[in-house]
Amino acid sequence: MPVQKTETPGLVELRRQLLAALTLFGGLAVLVLIGALVSPRTVDGDNVFLNQRNLFDILARVSNVGILAVGMTLVILTGGIDLSVGSVLSLGTVVAAMLLLERGWHPGAVLAVPSLAFASGAVAGLGAWLFAGKARPAARAGWAAGSFLAAALLAGGWGAAAAPNGMPVPGVVASVMAVGLLVGCLNGVLVAYGGLQPFIATLATMISIWGLAWLIPGESNARRNISTAVGTAHEPFNWLGSRIANVFPVPTLFFFGAVLVAHLVLRYTGAGRRVYAIGGNEDAARLSGVPVAGMKVLVYGTSGLLAALAGALWAAQYHQGYPDAGLGYELWAIAAVVIGGTSLVGGRGGLPGTFMGVLMFGVLENILSLVEAKTNWQRLVTGAIIVMAVLLQEGRLKAALHRSLRAVSKPLLRMLQGEKHK
Amino acid sequence: MRWRTPGWIAAGLSAIALAGCNGGTTPQSGGNAPGGGTRRIIGFSQVTTAEPWRSVFNQQLEAERRNHPEVELIVQDANDKTETQVQQMEGFITREVHAILISPKESAGLTDVVARAYDEGIPVFVLDRNVEGEKFTCFIGADNVEIGRQAGKHAVQLLGGPGKAKGNYVEVWGGFGTKPSADRSSGFHEIVDKEPGLKKVGQKVDCDWKLEKAQNFMESVLKLYPEIDLVYAHNDPMAMGARQAAEAVGRADKIRFLGIDGLPNEGVKWVKEGKLAATFLYPTPGAEGLRQALKKLNGEAVPKEITLKTDTITQGNADKYSQ
Repeated sequence: MPVQKTETPGLVELRRQLLAALTLFGGLAVLVLIGALVSPRTVDGDNVFLNQRNLFDILARVSNVGILAVGMTLVILTGGIDLSVGSVLSLGTVVAAMLLLERGWHPGAVLAVPSLAFASGAVAGLGAWLFAGKARPAARAGWAAGSFLAAALLAGGWGAAAAPNGMPVPGVVASVMAVGLLVGCLNGVLVAYGGLQPFIATLATMISIWGLAWLIPGESNARRNISTAVGTAHEPFNWLGSRIANVFPVPTLFFFGAVLVAHLVLRYTGAGRRVYAIGGNEDAARLSGVPVAGMKVLVYGTSGLLAALAGALWAAQYHQGYPDAGLGYELWAIAAVVIGGTSLVGGRGGLPGTFMGVLMFGVLENILSLVEAKTNWQRLVTGAIIVMAVLLQEGRLKAALHRSLRAVSKPLLRMLQGEKHK
Repeated sequence: MRWRTPGWIAAGLSAIALAGCNGGTTPQSGGNAPGGGTRRIIGFSQVTTAEPWRSVFNQQLEAERRNHPEVELIVQDANDKTETQVQQMEGFITREVHAILISPKESAGLTDVVARAYDEGIPVFVLDRNVEGEKFTCFIGADNVEIGRQAGKHAVQLLGGPGKAKGNYVEVWGGFGTKPSADRSSGFHEIVDKEPGLKKVGQKVDCDWKLEKAQNFMESVLKLYPEIDLVYAHNDPMAMGARQAAEAVGRADKIRFLGIDGLPNEGVKWVKEGKLAATFLYPTPGAEGLRQALKKLNGEAVPKEITLKTDTITQGNADKYSQ
């Protein structure tokens, strides 16, 4: 193969991403400008859109889908897709509500405690495996297995002791995330080891987990309401859906945190480079020693974990666990990722774009609701904006305009020339 | 690695298979039931159970069945699919059940199969949503327009009484293009639009019967309108969602919230907690359907249509509906 003189791929990719993010930032700025201009005013003449409360409302509103979109970005970068995130979110709301409200060994606890044991074991085992990187293979495996067992027993034992009497809120959130991790890992295993197409594998879990989310609370009592009363045990949980100092939404904190951590991992760690490598060319990645299957399980697992976290936050925001909570959210998450410039083929894109994509959706939805656009107009405009935003990236809008102009003008020219020849 | 099927799984599978066979026996007409009376086999095709109201519907039907030991009720869930429901109806016809209860998904796709059962001489009781034509025994359902009217009257009472009512109200829509939403709205407006002092604020937005969508919708409405006195939502969860949005900005105490459905775990509970001012019962037709079916099988006449009564549920009478 001829040696090509190019810049390092990382730099090219970074520049491309920054450019895309800047374009998107431009798009977002335009949207905000439109919002400020068309916004209604209060009786005192204040601009409702630019009102501080409203701007933070936008952040609060997009945080759930935003967290899903972070996991989705990772999955899509490997060339996959995760359709199950909406259902996992739903399951997360249900398990969170049940762990808060119920005592004893209810189905929610029966699901959550073993998941917690598995997740703790998996995290500890993976940690030990990485830590013992230079040890002999046998010793390394031994360390990993030992850590897995120890952590699983510890966490499982704690969960089994705590769950029947009501877990503290951090335990509830950790258990919910563990359930998500388990489902995500199942997706990963189906894709990486089962050889299923990601679309099919995650479609199947999407359907099954939706069913599970209905079965666990029981169909007749599926909506579990979490009291908003002050002074009850639910108060610390409700904090997750509230505003810090009555201003900054707590779910947004998690959203920003997830974006930041995922971005740093993608950009500065070997694991991140492997994600891009798998999406870019899976066979090449495998041949150069990337543990493709393991990475996929990790990526799908992360997506599931984040989806369940979003479920816990959803439950705190809307004060309920409900099996239909996340219905259709996967499509919004995918749309935000794609608007953000991450290629559905994999290997190209990243979190800055996704972040902008999520914000654009939030601002758009907010503007449409403030100008009291009717539902079907909202839908119509949203679809059109998706198309525009995707065309806007990388100057594709210009190219598309050129192309369509040419398509119109060429036959026109030919026609005119034809006239001349006669 | 090879998998061996553990014994308990095999046992479980055969148990399921056996249960299936049991359900598959053709009814022997005239056989004696454990309760003494003539054995009655009644098929029930429910459009879906993944919905709290449907679930209560099935529970109340089952509770009524326990009063009639001679009845064997075959309950089937159509998973919200017309085709499945048609198949279930065909199954009931083939098995020659004594009577059929059906709560159809929609009228167009199920009219034919209902008519076929009726022509075969099986009494068919259509519940909640109707089919077209006349080829069924009896339709039992509630009147959403009337429920809307009751809600309207209650709203007028809360805001000052007929002729004197004053204030701004928000209407939270269920699903666009669904009959229950259209009816609940038109009944409400029939009453409320007569009041010159009442003003509707906020647009017509499709909240799809969902709590969180109503909460999001109300969040915007609250920003745009500083004066809101009442919220009328087409179901209880949406009324609750609107309330939660108002709670978040400290305005819940100034607003009265009205919902519809009155399910024990939802609306009734929220009314008891003082979160909703009132809810309006949307009664389930299952129990009445079974009673009418037995009347018909015993040779009595049944009316072609039965409208179930609604009720205004407030803190005063909520206990009666919490079961």
